[in-house]
Amino acid sequence: MNRRSRSDVALTAWSIVVFAFLFAPIVVIIVSSFNSGRLLVAWGGFGFDAFLSLVEKPAIRDAVWVSIQTGAIAAVVATVLGTLAGIAMARHPGKWVLWFAGLLLLVSVTPEIVDAVALLPWLVFLGQDLGIGLFSDGVVRLVVGHSLFATAVVSYIVRARLVGLDAQLEEASADLYAKPFATFRRVTLPLAMPAVLAGFLLAFTLSLDNTVIAAFVQVSGTTPWPVYVLSALRSGLRPEIAAVSTIMLLLTLVALALVALVLRRAGDSATQIARTMTGH
Amino acid sequence: MRRSPGFALAVPAWAWLVIFFVAPVAMVVWFSFGYKPGIFGTHANDVLSFDRYVEALSPTFFATFQNTLWVGVAGTLLCLVIGLPVAYWMAVKAPPSRRGLLLALVMVPFWTNFLVRTIGWQVILAPEGWLSSLLQGIGLTNGPLDLLYTRGAVLLGVVYNYLPLMILPLFVAFDRVNGPLREASKDLGAGRWRTFARVTLPLARPGVIAGVLLVFIPLMGDYITATVLGGAKGNMVGQLVASQFQTAQNWALGSAMAMLLIIVIVLTVAAGALVVWIVSLPFRARHRLVLGDPPAPPSPPVPGPSDTSATPAGPRETQEVAA
Repeated sequence: MNRRSRSDVALTAWSIVVFAFLFAPIVVIIVSSFNSGRLLVAWGGFGFDAFLSLVEKPAIRDAVWVSIQTGAIAAVVATVLGTLAGIAMARHPGKWVLWFAGLLLLVSVTPEIVDAVALLPWLVFLGQDLGIGLFSDGVVRLVVGHSLFATAVVSYIVRARLVGLDAQLEEASADLYAKPFATFRRVTLPLAMPAVLAGFLLAFTLSLDNTVIAAFVQVSGTTPWPVYVLSALRSGLRPEIAAVSTIMLLLTLVALALVALVLRRAGDSATQIARTMTGH
Repeated sequence: MRRSPGFALAVPAWAWLVIFFVAPVAMVVWFSFGYKPGIFGTHANDVLSFDRYVEALSPTFFATFQNTLWVGVAGTLLCLVIGLPVAYWMAVKAPPSRRGLLLALVMVPFWTNFLVRTIGWQVILAPEGWLSSLLQGIGLTNGPLDLLYTRGAVLLGVVYNYLPLMILPLFVAFDRVNGPLREASKDLGAGRWRTFARVTLPLARPGVIAGVLLVFIPLMGDYITATVLGGAKGNMVGQLVASQFQTAQNWALGSAMAMLLIIVIVLTVAAGALVVWIVSLPFRARHRLVLGDPPAPPSPPVPGPSDTSATPAGPRETQEVAA
């Protein structure tokens, strides 16, 4: 009996250590955003100077605005595409689903850096060689780059939700002479709604945090905030970086809390929510 | 009214991904067979060859590939060793009412911006930072902390960054096993460790596989961790590819490196799967136990859905567990 509890204690202690490890750098960043010194690494006393300089510096403000804008548009694109695809996969199974799921899998497992270096020359080709001016626009390029993985994620989530629900309601609707579009709008879409909302918010946060693809496809003038942080890495990190990171972390957490709320109200367990949020 | 084919709804997503994922990656594959013409060109494809692949494997770059593979394998194993007890504790030992909270706690670092949390480690590890002064203060090290911009720092960074991706699938797997089967094993007289080794762990295998893949694949292509923590000493292939596109303007070589990265990932995963399969061969043979009737000799297949639904699902897994 004694031995049992000892191994339990060891397990608990280890878990606490690992949780502390997981939060160490986040705590450091949040604390650093109240650093009134000039450099991020050297503590110069407690103060709100970093947050004040965010208000004064238009560059960071603009970067955050670009991120929110592209995040919202990319999330809309990914949600529309992913929802339709998810519904098709769940309700019209067939051999094509295998091929399509294979494509989604490829999109999710391809290293981001490969996507990034591939998208850069491709957008240059579309924008300059083919003369489609749209693809020289900074916001469009970021939206395209951010929407790829997000589309796959939304498709998975919507499909998973509908596969778990019987198609009887839709069949009943069709039996009652509803036109296919009416069935889609009045039955299928409401059924899928929690997954659609959760997918939208996940797509938004994914886009908000995208760094690697954004760093490659961005055009100067429309720099999203992670890319601004990346460039600050070379010119020297100041406490403003920590301050903007803290604010964006709060924004992400609010979005995720909403996802959890939406899924919980739709009847998912904590484990199911966790699975949805890791995208599988 | 005519019904549209089932896949019609998926066509927009399919087209979007083909135009902005398949086509660009195909172009990179095409570039990788070309060359860099002169100083100002980025790529040319009038002469096709495998020369860029040979160049990408020349000693200078080969060391980076080796380093990446080392960090990838070591980082994945460390994540597994560190994350497995935590996931087990969360799913089995922690009070069930706390599980939601614990999951949320793992999720927060996972959803914190990747770059930001890596910068957090840069602040912690900085030679002039507080950890360094603390360690010197209590006399553990003489002189400032000398970890930042080394391979060790990159390893720490990747283990940190990908650990939630290991813990979450393992948690899901352990959570599923938890309950009647473990109780049955204990009722049948198996001890605590035996239950873990013979029941819990084998049944959690899909979670282990998912976790290893979810960590290893993105880790190999990591660009940010090595950029922030690695400096010149802790280079990874991701940076190599990026620098060919951004600074060296050699798209042909960069493309070949990107393709080689993917090839290395695929080969390593295949090799890993083979090793696991061979190692577990005697184990599986020893624990094979046939429950109920032996499988019927192959008979002409009867088409129809009743055929598949009649056979009990997953007999193999049950056999292994029951042994």
